[in-house]
Amino acid sequence: MSAPISQKAPGVLAASTAAEIALAAPCARLSLRARGDLAPLNAALGLTLPTRIGQVVPAGERQVICLGPDEWMIHAPSDDTAAIASACADAYATLPHSLVDVSAREVTLTIKGAHAAELLTIGCARDIDGIPVGEGRRTFFDGQTVILWRDGDTAFRMDVWNSFSGHVFDLLKTGCAELAAEHA
Amino acid sequence: MLLIHCPYCEETLPEAEFTYAGQAHIIRPENPSGQTDDQWEEFLFIRANPKGPHYERWRHFHGCGRFFNAVRDTVSDKFLTTYKAGAPRPDLSTLLPEGQK
Amino acid sequence: MSEYRVSGKGRVDAARPVSFSFDGKTFSGLKGDTVASALLANGVHLMGRSFKYHRPRGAVAAGSEEPNALIGTRRGPGRFEPNTRATVQEIWDGLQTNSQNKYPSLKFDVGAVNDAAYMLFSAGFYYKTFMWPKNFWHKVYEPFIRAAAGLGVSPTEEDPDHYASRYLHCDVLIVGAGPTGIAAAKAAAVDGLKVVLVDENAEAGGTLLSEPQAQIGGKPAWDWLASELAALKDAGVRIMTRTTAIGYYHQNMIGMVEKLTDHLPTLPKDTPRERMWRVRAKRVVLAQGALEKPLVFHGNDRPGVMLAGSAQTFLNRYGVLVGRKPIVLTCHDSAWYAAFDLSDAGAKVQAIVDTRESVPQALLDGAQSRGIPVKLSHTASGTSGRLRVNALRVNTIRSGHVEGGQNIACDAVLTSGGWTPSLHLFSHTQGKLAWDDDKTTFLPDVTPEDCLIAGASRGLWGVEAALNDGAEKGRESVAALGKTGADATYAVENDRPGTGVTHRELPTDLNPGRAKAFVDYQNDVTAKDLRLAVREGMRSIEHVKRYTTNGMATDQGKMSNINGLNIAADALGKKQPQVGLTTFRPPYTPTSFGAFCGYHRGDHFEVTRKTQIDAWAEENGAVFEPVGQWRRAWYFPKAGEDMEAAVRRECVATRKSVGIFDASTLGKIEVVGPDAVEFMNRVYTNPWTKLAVGRCRYGLLLGDDGFIRDDGVIARVAEDRFHVTTTTGGAARVLNMMEDYLQTEWPDLNVWLTSTSEQWSTIALNGPNAAKLLQPFVKDLELTEETFPHMSCTELEVAGMPARLWRVSFTGEIGFEVNVPAPMGRKLWETLWEAGQQYGITAYGTETMHVLRAEKGYIIVGQDTDGTVTPDDCGLGWAVGRKKPDFVGKRGLARPDLVTKGRKHLVGLLTEDKSKLEEGAQIVFDPNQPLPMTMVGHVTSSYTSDAVGQPIALALVAGGQDKMGETVYIPMPDRTIAAKITPMVFVDPDNTRLKI
Repeated sequence: MSAPISQKAPGVLAASTAAEIALAAPCARLSLRARGDLAPLNAALGLTLPTRIGQVVPAGERQVICLGPDEWMIHAPSDDTAAIASACADAYATLPHSLVDVSAREVTLTIKGAHAAELLTIGCARDIDGIPVGEGRRTFFDGQTVILWRDGDTAFRMDVWNSFSGHVFDLLKTGCAELAAEHA
Repeated sequence: MLLIHCPYCEETLPEAEFTYAGQAHIIRPENPSGQTDDQWEEFLFIRANPKGPHYERWRHFHGCGRFFNAVRDTVSDKFLTTYKAGAPRPDLSTLLPEGQK
Repeated sequence: MSEYRVSGKGRVDAARPVSFSFDGKTFSGLKGDTVASALLANGVHLMGRSFKYHRPRGAVAAGSEEPNALIGTRRGPGRFEPNTRATVQEIWDGLQTNSQNKYPSLKFDVGAVNDAAYMLFSAGFYYKTFMWPKNFWHKVYEPFIRAAAGLGVSPTEEDPDHYASRYLHCDVLIVGAGPTGIAAAKAAAVDGLKVVLVDENAEAGGTLLSEPQAQIGGKPAWDWLASELAALKDAGVRIMTRTTAIGYYHQNMIGMVEKLTDHLPTLPKDTPRERMWRVRAKRVVLAQGALEKPLVFHGNDRPGVMLAGSAQTFLNRYGVLVGRKPIVLTCHDSAWYAAFDLSDAGAKVQAIVDTRESVPQALLDGAQSRGIPVKLSHTASGTSGRLRVNALRVNTIRSGHVEGGQNIACDAVLTSGGWTPSLHLFSHTQGKLAWDDDKTTFLPDVTPEDCLIAGASRGLWGVEAALNDGAEKGRESVAALGKTGADATYAVENDRPGTGVTHRELPTDLNPGRAKAFVDYQNDVTAKDLRLAVREGMRSIEHVKRYTTNGMATDQGKMSNINGLNIAADALGKKQPQVGLTTFRPPYTPTSFGAFCGYHRGDHFEVTRKTQIDAWAEENGAVFEPVGQWRRAWYFPKAGEDMEAAVRRECVATRKSVGIFDASTLGKIEVVGPDAVEFMNRVYTNPWTKLAVGRCRYGLLLGDDGFIRDDGVIARVAEDRFHVTTTTGGAARVLNMMEDYLQTEWPDLNVWLTSTSEQWSTIALNGPNAAKLLQPFVKDLELTEETFPHMSCTELEVAGMPARLWRVSFTGEIGFEVNVPAPMGRKLWETLWEAGQQYGITAYGTETMHVLRAEKGYIIVGQDTDGTVTPDDCGLGWAVGRKKPDFVGKRGLARPDLVTKGRKHLVGLLTEDKSKLEEGAQIVFDPNQPLPMTMVGHVTSSYTSDAVGQPIALALVAGGQDKMGETVYIPMPDRTIAAKITPMVFVDPDNTRLKI
């Protein structure tokens, strides 16, 4: 029997000549919801929240992706959670919003390698080529909602809820081997 | 599998990212308790079943999560347009191809 | 080299012999052969028996349209597949194949008695024969039909192969890699466009593989083909062979199945057998070519009678002569070329029999120069030979009159009734077809999809026309994408465009009523059957099709539809378009279930959601049950315990000391914002305004129809923040419903919803010792009635982990739920488990949870409710904030049907004989009433209860709340059980046990 993905040590989980799948180190994940003039939150977070869905804004070790017209996901170092929470709390009076810690809700798998993009086509119905490098999308992989970040031509991150991560990883691993055989 | 344009993401994407959410422009009355039984029945249960353009709701479930409205031709299954929740009904005459108006 | 193999011909590799078996006998073929071409090279035409009459059959075609030569293939243990086309299956060393529909052997088959009795098996036979007597159905007819039904034999072993699927997005998809498709791809391969060229065959080339004589731009066809394919690859065109476009779906979604291993003697590692491609193309070019039509005449199904174009393919592509003494029977120019090719390869062509009075002079010259006798204005009225044709009966047609026949000896009859454009995928698009009287066929008209159809699929014959049309359609496709395609005009020498006439049945001097002139080979439908169907009243081709089964076999009428239509139209005295064409439906060729399943079998079958504590449960012997997508620990049997014993022990231990339960699967939603309380007031029935921070409340969720949708305990974490819980199965549905109201009805509310179901691991501790067990891990909080009363919540550290601690109970005992960040769940569980040993802590599963809650009369939404139950119906009226101006379901609760008397109420039941009721059992008031009895409700929950001392049940009973103490009856197959209606709460109705 295997432990949940969330209890594995960060590092490579599966690799082939086609692609490599690794578990990223834990980080702070904060779901931010707000609307209206975002200036108070921008000031609190020290960045400008992106307003086009799919856009990613990095700021130091923090990174924010816009997921919906009033929704963002913030990734930051784990020890940054309290700072973000308190800065946002200070802005609450001027701009009411929702900040929810979902750090423990999901894991991040990194998928990279020559055939990483092709690997994603076994489970993503949308055109992977339609996601520019440096952006991301919430979409699905084999029916499960995921956030897919494109860090490079052949480098992706996939945020997936704990209980779906096993299924998603197993399928990625099968695809990894299949693509390696195909491109051998 | 259809292609659906999400008016929030401004992308045209596979139907599998979306879920259907019934007929559009059915507004929950301001004061439900003031509704007669007939009015409430109409609101709860009575739905259109047109052959041709149909106003309906979809949700970009695996994407931005927003509910939005659409006009879909139930004969061809094609979307004539999609628009944000709260936007007014589009004018059908501008959507239908010549000959179908 | 066998007498039928022509050296120097074909694309097979003469240096690589391949050995395979057919019906247990070993045969030798060459690399590149199909089973059919290899058998034909060995002089074997008999490859199967027909479905209904068990008539001996051989291959009629050379491709996927083959209706007769269906074989079983065995590619090793477990890898058996029936109904494979021998004309498609490539051979390799060790491949085992066998014929079908025969017993005891292919050459002597007892089922062939059906053939002698064929007059009985005419159209509508099943409908007419099995009507009466009625009682014969189960004992006689059905077993007979079942035994005779089905094509081939189903595999019995589990399929050891695996299957795959992928999505593919491209600019232009071209279906068919013949000359049309290749020219289209070349024109489209510009400006970095993603172009995909797909073909079902093992190699690209289409008709060019069968027509090596053509010279394209001065190059021999095969040289041209090789250089064009190389150039396409260089230009980035993705060429996919052994890949069949099986269906054309909405908005240019094409389903394609790629066969990866069936042609390989050894299976490559990690390679799926088949892969389903879901392709989304901006533009599609259909270049599927045309299929040759057989001629309809008596005995046209005898092995050795085959399509002329296919004979040409067997010769030119596989280097196989299908006969040394063939005879050609045709009404179309194309078969003359087959005669010429076979003659040039050494066959002695016995004659070319053409129904036409005149043909182009060049054809006559070609025949004369080869010494082939020509018989114009002739027809054929029969064949002879037992398991293979040995003569064709040929008749002169003089002034429309058919004269007496003369047998011409032969070893193969090559027929051509002309060509039918392949419109299958075009039809999938709901494209309209237009009847072309000259060509006597349907041609493509308009389609709603962004799709063009090119070449022979739209009735253009000859390689030159195909190339130029393909190029044009390729350019047109990319022009629609704003690009300019490569310009090219093709000139072809030795091209063979041809014309011909169309026949229904060939004219004959014999009684057509006795002719076995087959239209649909696979379903054994004759011309006579079609005419009979019309005589018996069928008017539409759809009816004729179903009555006769014409075109309903696995080849979907690829050869039979047009011949069938022509004959039916003639019988009806109507034009073909008035009779109509049956609809082609996906898949284009038979497709394995594996291809449709893709990865979704075995471990990949479906998501199985597991909690962080699931592995502990598994290590500790839990038995699991599925709850939605989750698997949850059901009970934890100790050695020798069955389920009942384990659940009983878990219940007793929890009520006596302390039980630990994994409640992590509960749905959780964080509701945050200045309008959070207003939102809660509108969504849940309960009033929330006065709920203090740090307190919990049971929440009840209705639909606007007034019926219960979900429930759960909700904590007010802060003024503007609620931690909502939902049922396990309802989590996604409830969040969707809340988002719906929030986004579309109340967009003005400043509140947001975030799923935190998986943020938390939730561990429930219940029992008299729960507080004692927990206290040492909770600093700064006294777990007493005063400091942390029932329905309290707080944020603090538990065992050093950040936690949300709730005092709640779903058992009636002192209860806590500890929420910690999900991955810490197992550590907390193990910490509590270890510390709990002094109290004899017991892990319990969902079954014990169900028993304990039922003893307290707590409902399970979805078990005790079924979408028609209101709060009042199940005694939850107290949870409804009737003073609120509105909430979802408030108006619904006032609907006439919901306030009427006699509604079903949820009540308790105790059986008089102390037996346990069956969940779902129906309830009646009067057990002695006549059948059918009036059912007044059903048992929703039923358990053995140690705490009560007898089994307990919850049931929905009409007017139940007004019938306390009355007796109802539960009729079972063997007896009727009497039960007394009781209140829902069986244990501790005053909640004294909740107190610390």
